[in-house]
Amino acid sequence: MSRRLALVIVAAFVAAVLVLPATGAPATPQAGGTLIIGRGADSVTLSPYASASPDAEVIAHIAETLYQLTPEGRIVPLLAEAMPTLSPDARTMTIRLRTGIRFHDGTPFDAAAVKWNFDFILNPDNRAPFRAILLGEVASVDAVDARTVRLNLRRPFVPLLAHLTHDFLAIHSPTAVQRAGGMRPPTGEPYGRQPVGTGPYRFREWVRGDRIVLERNPDYWGPRKPLLDQIVWRVIPDDGARVLALEGGQIHVAVRVPPRETTRLALNQALRIDRTSSVRTIYIAFNNQKPPFNDVRVRQAFNYAVNKRAIAQTVLGGAARVSDAPISPGIVGYSGIQAGGYPYDVNRARQLLAEAGHGGGVNVTILHPTGRYVQDAQVAAAVQAQLRAAGINARLQTMEWAAYLSFTNQPPDRTPVESFMLGWGTVTGDADYGLYSLFHSSQWAPAGFNRFFYRNPQVDSLLDQARAMTDAARRAATYREAMEIIWRDAPWLFLHSESQVTGVRREVQDLLVHPTERIVAFHAWLRR
Amino acid sequence: MWRYLLKRVLLAIPVLLGVSIVVFAMVRFIPGDPAQIMAGQAATQEVVEQIRESLGLDQPILVQYAYFLRNALTGDLGRSLFSGVPVSEELGQRFPRTVRLALASIFVAALIGIPAGILSATRHLSWVDSIVMILALAGVSIPVFWLGLNLILVFSVRLHWMPAFGYETWRHLVLPSITLGTASAAIIARMTRSAMLEVLRQDYVRTARAKGLAERVVVNHHALRNALIPVVTVVGLQLGALLSGAVLTETVFSWPGIGKLLVDSVLARDYPIIQGAVLLIAATFVFLNVVVDATYAMLDPRIRYE
Repeated sequence: MSRRLALVIVAAFVAAVLVLPATGAPATPQAGGTLIIGRGADSVTLSPYASASPDAEVIAHIAETLYQLTPEGRIVPLLAEAMPTLSPDARTMTIRLRTGIRFHDGTPFDAAAVKWNFDFILNPDNRAPFRAILLGEVASVDAVDARTVRLNLRRPFVPLLAHLTHDFLAIHSPTAVQRAGGMRPPTGEPYGRQPVGTGPYRFREWVRGDRIVLERNPDYWGPRKPLLDQIVWRVIPDDGARVLALEGGQIHVAVRVPPRETTRLALNQALRIDRTSSVRTIYIAFNNQKPPFNDVRVRQAFNYAVNKRAIAQTVLGGAARVSDAPISPGIVGYSGIQAGGYPYDVNRARQLLAEAGHGGGVNVTILHPTGRYVQDAQVAAAVQAQLRAAGINARLQTMEWAAYLSFTNQPPDRTPVESFMLGWGTVTGDADYGLYSLFHSSQWAPAGFNRFFYRNPQVDSLLDQARAMTDAARRAATYREAMEIIWRDAPWLFLHSESQVTGVRREVQDLLVHPTERIVAFHAWLRR
Repeated sequence: MWRYLLKRVLLAIPVLLGVSIVVFAMVRFIPGDPAQIMAGQAATQEVVEQIRESLGLDQPILVQYAYFLRNALTGDLGRSLFSGVPVSEELGQRFPRTVRLALASIFVAALIGIPAGILSATRHLSWVDSIVMILALAGVSIPVFWLGLNLILVFSVRLHWMPAFGYETWRHLVLPSITLGTASAAIIARMTRSAMLEVLRQDYVRTARAKGLAERVVVNHHALRNALIPVVTVVGLQLGALLSGAVLTETVFSWPGIGKLLVDSVLARDYPIIQGAVLLIAATFVFLNVVVDATYAMLDPRIRYE
């Protein structure tokens, strides 16, 4: 009798265990486990010498910034306690810091640590690559008291707040930097191989070209404690192999899934496909000073002659958003200028070309990279085919990336380039970085990134003004006005912003793919 | 013999010097600027100039070469422009992995290729011969990418027998070495077959048969040893190729070896790594050639290097 009873109890138990996970109960976060992320490229450095997103996404888990950019494009405090206060002349920015936070090495996070970090980047001798872009307008930094930092600006520069969300301005432990033997340009060696911050995960191991391992920071200060035991980034360079490793369950997340694989993967019950649009805009720039592109009608004609929607749907398998402005959504200061982009209208294109004196057709050369952006060569081929219908005979020319960068970066009087495809990621999350660096006439190549030699004094003036506007609404309106002019002037063939296609196994919960091209696993956990 | 080997090793010095000059010049004449790549496409010209200067890339090329040579003689190959890691450390980590993969692959290749070649030669013009040669043709023609991904699909994703990536244990070695060894196996099989066919037509083989020796003894003892010389050459060259040319396999199986390192470095214009890796590969080829020559003497008593 007692044996039968025991059997019944055991059976009930087994049934309960078997049934429970299948009920699909609301997900209660579970602690433990190792999340493995497969990506195509390794990081180069995990220090303030970082310069690319494979660096940034790992740093973000280890070292935190004063402010944080939400995926919706809102700026919220992180290591700072509240939003900063600006002096009436907008020349000083005062930031209150959270207290009671410690770095992973046990040393306190305070104003002195923040000042040390910023001073290091500001010192030109240290040659931090993003100094000019992120902190270019900061003259000096004061630690007013243990929990207050003041940034003194050369001139009013409102985008600074967005820059403070950037992972390359994350606060590292000054003591740890010194203990590691400092940071040397160009890549912050030797500290760059063993970073120490305040973040939810601590650095554990880095085998170059193979993997980076982080472990849970049990003393994390934030309200949401990290749940995973470990996060591992594995380098799996081949797209196909990365997808197979995901299907085989050897990794949980595969970044940059090729568009051709998504239909097949969508049928796999063990996976989901995450499509997050990124802040990277892809365009074909025209040399605005050189015929035929020194005529705005020609530039507009190209925009009318290409069916951007068709390219996004077919060539990119839906993993793209047709540009409706020079920058993408998710950026502070973005607003859509023309829904759906320039309409596809071959007749209008032909008419504009005829008005510009090219009724008999026009010959141009378009340069494009191969393998740098999603399906870049295929997009270029589609553009070429569509241009033909409008009487435009485009010759495609490709070049390996390193040569491509140099070739498109020549001064206006020397460059042979007529038009070229490039992408721009507005990674600071602020319109200033996406517009000033590209469209302001002070930024002509090779000094700046205006490699297409666009100049419009009105745009210059608006972009200058917006840098000093503290009123968010007025600033947004100013950017809108500037973007409307840029859109009409059509210095580019506006194409699309890329979507990040990420394959994720079903058991992975609360993983975030950020528009700034990073996998964010702060709150991620594994359902078992 | 020893004097000969010593002479060969000394001869390697001008070879490596020549290689270093060619590589040094070549990487600097191809378009593309490491400072620009390192600074990122968004960097200002000022930052790029600073980086170039800090890397010593603003110096005349002859000065740069003199520095390189001086440091190389003391065993210092410089540091990676990108990671800042010493080149010797990077190569020291990567090369043993590639060696492990290449040795396993050549083992697979010889294990399949030599018996297949012998089988084919002894059954000359039979259906066995035809099948082996068709397989060999397929072996050299199959793209490494296709083969590697399909092996992963079957043995890793479907059957869960083998890991899809990584390099830590012997299990990680199985699929990549089959992938990498297949083409070499095919080449070795063809070479073994033709060498064997030639030897089997020789008088001494006919004599051996006439003595009434078993066919197995004739093939294994009289014919094979004499046929091995060209086979050893091919195996040696294949091993050299595997050590330097495993890029595709290393990419498919995420095997962080020297082939992948070299390609990444070329794309990034990481001059010190390119120079170091090419020198190492050249030295490996020279070394393998000496080993192959020495093996001849062991296989064929008539060969003497005096």
